[in-house]
Amino acid sequence: MATDTDIAPAPTETDHHDHPAHLQHHFVSSEQQFDSAKLGMWLFLITEILLFSAMFVAYAVYRQWHPETFVAASETLNVTMGTINTIVLLTSSLTVALSIHYIQKDEVKKCIYNLGATLVLAGGFMVIKYFEYTSKFEHGAYPGGMFDPHGGHYAQLADVPFASQFFSIYFVMTGIHGLHVIIGMAVIGWVAVRAWMGSFSSEYYTPVELTGLYWHLVDIVWIFLFPMLYLI
Amino acid sequence: MSTDTQNTAVAQPDEHEEGENYLNHETSVWSWLSTKDHKRIGVLYCVTLALVFLAAGVLALVMRAELSGPGETMMANDTYNQVFSMHGIMMVFLFLVPSIPAILGNFVLPMQIGAKDVAFPRLNLASWYVYLAGATLTIMALLWGGVDTGWTFYTPYSKTTGGGVLWMTSAIFVAGFANIFTGLNFIVTIHKMRAPGMTWNRLPLFVWGMYATSIVQVLATPVIGITMVLLILEQVLQIGIFDPSLGGDPVLFQHFFWFYSHPAVYIMILPAFGIMSELIATFSRSRIFGYRAIALSSVAIAMLGFLVWGHHMFVSGQSVVSSIVFSLITYLIGIPSGIKVFNWVATLYKGSIWLQTPMIYALSFLFLFSIGGFTGIMVGVLSVDVHLHDTYYIVSHFHYVMMGGTVVALLGGMHYWWPKITGRMYNETLGKIAAFLVFVGFNLTFFPQLVLGAKGMPRRYATYADRFTDLHQLSTAGSGVLGVGLFLVLGYALWSLKYGEKAPANPWGAATLEWTNVAALPDPHNFKRTPLITRGPYDFHLADEVFGGGDGEADGDQGLRVPDAAPAAPLEPSRDA
Amino acid sequence: MSDDGHHILPKATLLKVFGGLIFLTVLTVAVAYVPLGPLAVPVAIGIAATKATLVVLYFMALRYDNPVNALTFTIGIIMVMVFITFTMIDTAFRGDMGNVDRQTMGEIEREQEAAQQQQEQIPSEQLRVAPADYPDDRGADAGAASGDSDS
Ligand SMILES: [Cu+2]
Repeated sequence: MATDTDIAPAPTETDHHDHPAHLQHHFVSSEQQFDSAKLGMWLFLITEILLFSAMFVAYAVYRQWHPETFVAASETLNVTMGTINTIVLLTSSLTVALSIHYIQKDEVKKCIYNLGATLVLAGGFMVIKYFEYTSKFEHGAYPGGMFDPHGGHYAQLADVPFASQFFSIYFVMTGIHGLHVIIGMAVIGWVAVRAWMGSFSSEYYTPVELTGLYWHLVDIVWIFLFPMLYLI
Repeated sequence: MSTDTQNTAVAQPDEHEEGENYLNHETSVWSWLSTKDHKRIGVLYCVTLALVFLAAGVLALVMRAELSGPGETMMANDTYNQVFSMHGIMMVFLFLVPSIPAILGNFVLPMQIGAKDVAFPRLNLASWYVYLAGATLTIMALLWGGVDTGWTFYTPYSKTTGGGVLWMTSAIFVAGFANIFTGLNFIVTIHKMRAPGMTWNRLPLFVWGMYATSIVQVLATPVIGITMVLLILEQVLQIGIFDPSLGGDPVLFQHFFWFYSHPAVYIMILPAFGIMSELIATFSRSRIFGYRAIALSSVAIAMLGFLVWGHHMFVSGQSVVSSIVFSLITYLIGIPSGIKVFNWVATLYKGSIWLQTPMIYALSFLFLFSIGGFTGIMVGVLSVDVHLHDTYYIVSHFHYVMMGGTVVALLGGMHYWWPKITGRMYNETLGKIAAFLVFVGFNLTFFPQLVLGAKGMPRRYATYADRFTDLHQLSTAGSGVLGVGLFLVLGYALWSLKYGEKAPANPWGAATLEWTNVAALPDPHNFKRTPLITRGPYDFHLADEVFGGGDGEADGDQGLRVPDAAPAAPLEPSRDA
Repeated sequence: MSDDGHHILPKATLLKVFGGLIFLTVLTVAVAYVPLGPLAVPVAIGIAATKATLVVLYFMALRYDNPVNALTFTIGIIMVMVFITFTMIDTAFRGDMGNVDRQTMGEIEREQEAAQQQQEQIPSEQLRVAPADYPDDRGADAGAASGDSDS
């Protein structure tokens, strides 16, 4: 996140009059600034990947220990909603990729439309997630200690040992992923506003590109979460 | 290279008014709190970390005082538990991990590669503020009843004990971001901000050390972050991942914890290796032996360091298969570490050694780190560790690495770069006395602990059996000597700020850019002209010819501090591997 | 300047990749209803990895990017693999420390499970491992004799 904030055009108080407005004084060229920002973003992305990795390890270990539990518990998740959400998120990845495509071609309007579409799709993802969560809570499928399944096809889980571990992992993983979606929405909104204010062009669109990278990573995490939690 | 378009020199070197430097060009408090200058951020970190080191160090002295007798001498067991926990947590997470990168890395690294600043100056400042937020949360933890889990927070105990743990784990989560920001910034800086001609083979070895460190910081720190989040969730929501009473697995917590905390050892020691290479080369006036081997062994250690975390868990109940695998890979780490020590010793050989204070610290490091390394190999042996686990042997081993390694290297580095940071010389005589006290005090404190551990004295107890009394008292006496040495350093450092002799631009006759091309007190933008690098960082014989003392020449009339001119230094190119 | 590191992906490529992603999503859902037995997990993860690769190479344009960025990303992925693999070296063979039997604990457990499925009923004394399983008699003493599985 914080890497984004470094890209904002700094007022050039130096006497280097030939520098474009977005170029910070300690860089020599726009090229160097862009490359730096991008490498910084990729480094930030691997910190995100490693942040999620511990949860993937927890999933792998508990699945290895209690495979039947995980199969039984994952059957209570709603595959339809999960599939829709996957498609929603994949589409939002496409729109954000298109927004970069358009800003590279100086078609600012289309870029803003695509950013807007991404925002709407991300919102849709969260809404579906909300309905999924509430349907779990109604049946007492809370994370960990409060786990008390009842009603519907959840009742059978009461007798399955370690089912609460599955739901702990489910809520922690999707919860932290959801948090990333919300942060992503805020950043995309901010980028869209700045695009609307005319800050970006094919000459300078680093924030759009970096936000896109971040958003794709959020998508990738979900690409793995979906089969792990819903399908197998 | 992205930097190849850089002009070698701005046509007319700016006529800065005489005496303008990074300290006096702005002086308001706000100019410090909002600075994006890497040098000033380094200074901010230096002051903050000195306070943390002072607090955690006083806790150590208090512990040793409690251990001066076998029974309860000055505090209850519970208090002692909190004292050793806070000592460990503050030293590791709030001092050692950020220490060298945040202070010296920030100050020196951009200058060493010929850059005006780090790649993301605002992120750099954010790092310091985030660190402060972490420190504030630590204080909250203290107010909330403290922490008595030890620095490792092992579950299930950490889940059941006091609310302070919640604050402390949040503090570590937050402070972790400060380290990530620094590491990320340095990697990008080293990749993208090098001056023209600064090829990878011409990077000073401190930069290589920082590069390897930053890789570890970026890859490992997120894992401690999420581990702390999971621990918090375990307490708040009872998620049952780590708590055996809920069906969780406490050993899994140890995996998560050590996946970060073993590599964290390299976050602490790799920068120290970097400083060592600078000191050894400069003060023996000889080209470093095996430049490539030292540079690449840092990266090798950084990578291998990710494959050995299970050696902290030999008696945790992890499977024997994994214990054997982790033990074997642990031996491998001895190879790159050995390569470094060998290369430093080979650099000393036939060099013209100049025993200034930084060099005394460097030689101390060689001795202390070797002991730390050898004992490390010993406890990496599966069957030996089963006996030595959780004894004072371990305590002594990691103090030899972290205090004898990192802190001694940091002290050496601080003395070495002190003239560049403050523009003043410290008192050389007092410096030597303090270095001697630190060395003697350190060994007196921790060598008896090796013996204690081998005899079976367990760690983390406020009381002990009578037969351990002699060695414990010896150790306590040693901690006093060590404390006197460190306070002496603090004393003459503060004194030199006001009364110290004005430093020349290159008091040590070093050949890296921050000495040859930067004024005695650096310019706000480091270099008045962007340097063009045509030689290696330790080509002392070329340094004077090409750069002739650089921009600091104006105040360079105290040339008497500089040792024999470089061409006279023994130089045998054939020795360089 | 815009060719150098600023590769513009054609809209057609983006749409093709998106099509591939949707196809793979449908495929993985469909495959989930086919009883694959032990292959279910590798197939699902394999499809997910393919999708992720498509996103990384095209949407994130890593294929056309500076090699340093690709190296960065690869190292991150390798570290995740290391984390998972080395942790599972432990968790797959857990409990062997105190086990003096010729078989691993995993093998013993599997045998016990198999036996349980065959006869359903094992005399309850044989299932006692922890002190808590001996509420009535001498408790800890009896438990210590057999309870060395430390997982
Ligand atoms: Cu270790």
